[in-house]
Amino acid sequence: MAEEVVMLTGNHSVSEAVKRVKPDVIAAYPITPQTAIIEYLSKLVDSGEMDSHFIRVESEHSALAAVAGASWAGARTFTATSSQGLLYMGEWVFWTGYARLPVVMAVVNRCLAPGWSIWVDLQDSMAFRDAGWIQIYNKNNQEVFDTTIQSYKIAESKDIALPVMPCLDGFVLSHTSSKVILSDPEEVYNFVGDYSDPIIEIDTGKPFAYGSIVMPDKYNKDRKDLMEAMERAKAKIKAVNKEFSETFGRTYGNGLIEKYGDDDADLTIVGIGTMADETQQAIDMLTSEGLKVNSVRVRTFRPFPTEDIIDIAKKNHKLLVIDRSVSFGHEGHLQMEIESVLKRNSIDTPVIGKVMGLGGEDVPYTRIAKVAKENL
Amino acid sequence: MPTTLKDLMNNPKEALLKGHFACAGCGSALAFRHAIGAIADKAVVVIPACCTSVYQGFGRGVAFDVPTINVAFASSDAVAAGIKHAMEKKGKEAHVVAWAGDGGTADIGIATLIGACDRQDNILHIMYSNNVYSNTGGQRSGDTPIGARTTTTPFGNKAQRKMVPFIMMANNASYVATASVAYIPDLVDKVKKAISYDGFKFIEIDASCPVAWKSDSADSIKVARLAVETGVWPLFEWDNKSNKAVLSKRGSKFRNKENRKPIEEWLNIQGRFKGMSDEEIKNLYADVDRQWTFLEKFLE
Repeated sequence: MAEEVVMLTGNHSVSEAVKRVKPDVIAAYPITPQTAIIEYLSKLVDSGEMDSHFIRVESEHSALAAVAGASWAGARTFTATSSQGLLYMGEWVFWTGYARLPVVMAVVNRCLAPGWSIWVDLQDSMAFRDAGWIQIYNKNNQEVFDTTIQSYKIAESKDIALPVMPCLDGFVLSHTSSKVILSDPEEVYNFVGDYSDPIIEIDTGKPFAYGSIVMPDKYNKDRKDLMEAMERAKAKIKAVNKEFSETFGRTYGNGLIEKYGDDDADLTIVGIGTMADETQQAIDMLTSEGLKVNSVRVRTFRPFPTEDIIDIAKKNHKLLVIDRSVSFGHEGHLQMEIESVLKRNSIDTPVIGKVMGLGGEDVPYTRIAKVAKENL
Repeated sequence: MPTTLKDLMNNPKEALLKGHFACAGCGSALAFRHAIGAIADKAVVVIPACCTSVYQGFGRGVAFDVPTINVAFASSDAVAAGIKHAMEKKGKEAHVVAWAGDGGTADIGIATLIGACDRQDNILHIMYSNNVYSNTGGQRSGDTPIGARTTTTPFGNKAQRKMVPFIMMANNASYVATASVAYIPDLVDKVKKAISYDGFKFIEIDASCPVAWKSDSADSIKVARLAVETGVWPLFEWDNKSNKAVLSKRGSKFRNKENRKPIEEWLNIQGRFKGMSDEEIKNLYADVDRQWTFLEKFLE
């Protein structure tokens, strides 16, 4: 079986990637808009196309707990969730991050209730930015497929050992078909490699205790190690992006951010997810009108691309940060991080923040262009 | 051949080593030593928040001689299922045991427990019940008997006891048993029998807690034995193939009410029942009858 070019939804792009990396154990619970990912995987497992164990758990809390258990036992694992489901598994999101288990969990971004809404914003995954997970936000279904594959290579590196959350916008990506190149399964598997030498592995007859009482000195050491692993992950994500590009011919900026347009712009629009992709059209439109604008898509929110943001702020004159999530009582999450980076590094490039697209509100490039003009 | 006390003295493998932090007279630690000791060579133990997460000790001094994973409160069976599936996929043999208290089983953990049972995940859940949230200082749990004074029922618990073994029978676990720290060889036999079944297995152990029960730590076995002899704690086994319950040899004669000691004998050596009214005692007798009435439907 060679490479295939197909029309595929974001959800099935995740499933196709997971199929190729051959996880040992999958555990999942249904929630819109994620469900199609696990339905497809269930079918592949039950039909024998995939040789994985699929645990149909009774809640998201148990989904991540089961996957964590399997990961402790040295298995390659997968789960997926969205929105309320991510909140419900919240205790285990932190547990998995702090335990540094190399779990991969696709998060199909959906806003939070009340009221009931199934459309996209990033409030769900942003609520877990402090949980010790690598978060990679995607712009289109091809990237969703590619990032899911890359996630395993990053998570399972012994010098990283961190769970990874590939994030995709609900409906905009999850339920929308677009062209996706599905790489040859064998090539994908070879790229990721097998997981026969796991980070941690339970063995009977080899007693050890994981997670028992810990004194403050050891606790602090563990968290410092996590911080350092996150810092190392920046170079790893870049390296995996580069290796992926060399193998499959597809690349996403430097792995941490993706720039669009020329430096020395009067205004740089910084965004995340599909809205940042839409921004590129706005840049084209504004550039054709003779305006000096460019854009940056933040691909990894954790670890945060601090050095790249410094570089961008130095090379341009003003930043317009567009967020699809917000910290009530403060400001948008991306804006918050960027302002903190600039302040810490004594860079006085002005930053303007705009929160848009909550609850699936449509944000076309024309609107982004309008906001850009208002702030030029 | 049933296990004897002599066999236990000669047990080649100890699951519980010296230096654990359990209180004097702790029923849970005693049960862990023998129940897990019986299967120690192939055991993997998953422990949610409970006294066992504390008394195992810490750092290099952990006193459990089996692989031990400490996990979030409401998730022991899900983690155990994940471990078991992963080990099966890797072709490794293991007896994966979720070892949880009554809070982590009957209350916050019950959805996860029943979920694993529905799926017939090939694990053993052992619920050691001290009838209270002991680790947090003795609050009422779903398995607290009527009349017990706890820190959240200072004037006596009014709610009926949640009989988790019956819930697991109704939910078609492959094997269900009750056991007591007063009858350790019986407990060991039940653990060994449980692991011979495929699918989901469940054992509840009545495990004395001198701190919460306000009993003398030297009386831990005596209190547990009186629970059986007064009929408060029926000892039985059930499996889903036969759908029949069998009373354990040690407890069978207490099926007949005439052979039972008055429940007051069990109450009177525990400070937690001090000050119970006649009404409360009547309600407790009724709740014990309720358990036996249910169990009778499955007895020959």
